Amino acid sequence: MKKMFFLLVLTFFSSATWAKVNVITTTSDLAALVAEIGVDKVSVTSLTKGTRDPHYAQAKPSMIRKVFRADLLVVIGAEMEVGWLPALMRSSRNSKVSPGKAGYLDVSEFIELKGKTSARVTRDMGDVHAAGNPHYWLDPANGILMAKAITERLIKLDASNAPSYRENFNTFKEKLEKKIIQWKSDLHGFSGQKIIAYHTSLLYLANAFNFDVRGYVEPKPGLSPSASHLNQLIETIKSENIRYLLMEPYYETRSAQLLKRKSGVNYIVIPQSVGAKPNIKTYFDLFDGIVNALKAVEK
Amino acid sequence: MKLKQSLTLFLSIGIGINSAMCFAQSASMDLQKNKNPMDIGISALFATGGASKGNSTIANLQGGGHDPSKIGFTLQNLELTLGGAVDPFFDAQSNIIMLLNDEGEAILEIEEAYLLTKQLPSGLQIKAGQFYTEFGRQNKMHPHTWAFVDQPIVLSRLLGGDGLRSQGAQVSWLSPLPWYAEIFFGFQNAKGATGNSFLSAGHGHDDHADEGAEEETSEYPINGLEDFLYSARWLNGLDFNENVSANLGFSGVWGPNANGTGTENDLRTAIYGADLYLKWQAENSSRGYPFVAWHTEYLFRRYEEIEEDVFTRKDSGWFSQLSYGFKPGWIAGLRLEMADSNEEDEHAIDADERFRTALNLTWLPTEFSKIRLQYNYDDAHHVGEAVHLVWLQFEYNLGSHAAHVF
Repeated sequence: MKKMFFLLVLTFFSSATWAKVNVITTTSDLAALVAEIGVDKVSVTSLTKGTRDPHYAQAKPSMIRKVFRADLLVVIGAEMEVGWLPALMRSSRNSKVSPGKAGYLDVSEFIELKGKTSARVTRDMGDVHAAGNPHYWLDPANGILMAKAITERLIKLDASNAPSYRENFNTFKEKLEKKIIQWKSDLHGFSGQKIIAYHTSLLYLANAFNFDVRGYVEPKPGLSPSASHLNQLIETIKSENIRYLLMEPYYETRSAQLLKRKSGVNYIVIPQSVGAKPNIKTYFDLFDGIVNALKAVEK
Repeated sequence: MKLKQSLTLFLSIGIGINSAMCFAQSASMDLQKNKNPMDIGISALFATGGASKGNSTIANLQGGGHDPSKIGFTLQNLELTLGGAVDPFFDAQSNIIMLLNDEGEAILEIEEAYLLTKQLPSGLQIKAGQFYTEFGRQNKMHPHTWAFVDQPIVLSRLLGGDGLRSQGAQVSWLSPLPWYAEIFFGFQNAKGATGNSFLSAGHGHDDHADEGAEEETSEYPINGLEDFLYSARWLNGLDFNENVSANLGFSGVWGPNANGTGTENDLRTAIYGADLYLKWQAENSSRGYPFVAWHTEYLFRRYEEIEEDVFTRKDSGWFSQLSYGFKPGWIAGLRLEMADSNEEDEHAIDADERFRTALNLTWLPTEFSKIRLQYNYDDAHHVGEAVHLVWLQFEYNLGSHAAHVF
């Protein structure tokens, strides 16, 4: 009996020593990157699905439970989660993952954000984030910076597995660098092309692949398109001979169909996040998916 | 208060808010530099409408302290929210409400003002201050977050027109069960205008309060622990799949009531409730739409009264409401509700048999504004005929971002 008890205690302690780092991320893209670096040393769960706009998530009770049990909380930052994360953190009572602690990682701090403004931002402008545009994961070069920030934080929290995290990061970085070259050559035909985007979320993607964004379907970020704005857009598309409209799968397609009918512009629904489509499971799949969607229209 | 005086008071409150808003802007600028982490916001809720009966009837039908209750315009509530992290140990929130009563006088309310712990171990959290009692789902929701213009009948009757809230403390425990399960225990004063069903028998606001109840409240002697409110709630959260989630809760609150004041009798009130909230959100949702949400609550009260002998009044009621967000920014709503009591006087305003149904359409141009049109069909026994009411509601929010809570 004593022996059994001893064994039990031993199992408990050994499992505690070998317990995986429990990482919770706000988005599926962050979860995919954590999985690349953590592999078998972490367990990772995203609070939101890639099929939805992470701006408009709700603090669900199941999320409270997840954050309560987290060792590390990884967030996009730059006001992306401003609508739901503060309320969630208040209910989750996990001081390990509060801002300023090692268990809280705001990845936007490691990225050169675009669209930052020191001018006064009012809500008259729609959903404008003075801290910068938060859709930075859509530039694959930022994927390396994001993965690096995650790697460093995992090492800080779980030093015993540092060599493994470093190795995984190097593997990831090499593969991503090669893939970026390939994606850029695949999309060579799009370089310099004038496009229309649905929302301001494609700023980083456009920058990475040199698209020239000439207008948005939304009159102001976060506002539904009006008839007069769409008419104006039709004029722009015709006069500037714009061939492509890029949009995320969660937006309505009625406006895009109308624009196509009236101006001949091709609208392309691109996956914006890991998990946007069932076959997009990794950060590499995400850009493969975007490249394939674009190339399918080009042909 | 004369109209001119009340105007002056309201204007000075308005100036106060304006300066608070200037502060809000500078605060939000500072927030980016992480200097002054306080959230400041103001939310204003107005309504206008009319009905097939006059104001004297409508005032009795619209039992909520913030319900529009007259033909014409109503400022339902102007809420100033101040909140944030106090230090590494506490968060705090204060909600200060101003409204105008039927005479145009400004009324100030401390809706909530509480501390919340952040560092307690084992999933424990303590809330202390002035706060809404954890009872059901709707009780602690602030009026501007409601899916309808007015408060459900059974809540006005049993928990009070302003919702059940008081000063006290509450401890909650997030259980280690494999689903979200949280238990709340509350200990609060039973006195005060918002202790309806307990030591305040009247409604929260001056214009509704009945004088007798106020006296009963002030005369009731507080002798010990038996003269406080005790509440308990068990809340469960379940995800059936990625698109369907639910909350299921059970609540109870116990305390003294003022009816036995001055007699030998120690009269008690007990209220029990069950609530269910079910929400479906589309796989590819944009701005959170489309969605369908179904919210139902049932409440039951045992309320001891003294007539010739001690008599236990039993009141109950339910409401069930469906919200369908059919495209971004657009929500259609349907609410059904019933309330009844074993009170012998079938024409008692707060105890008659009553059925009400409401239909509404809400447009939210952005997360910060809202316009809502609502129709109520109200069949109250005390009126004797069905009353038709139409309300148009308008809301704006300035300052810090309101939370998207499930």
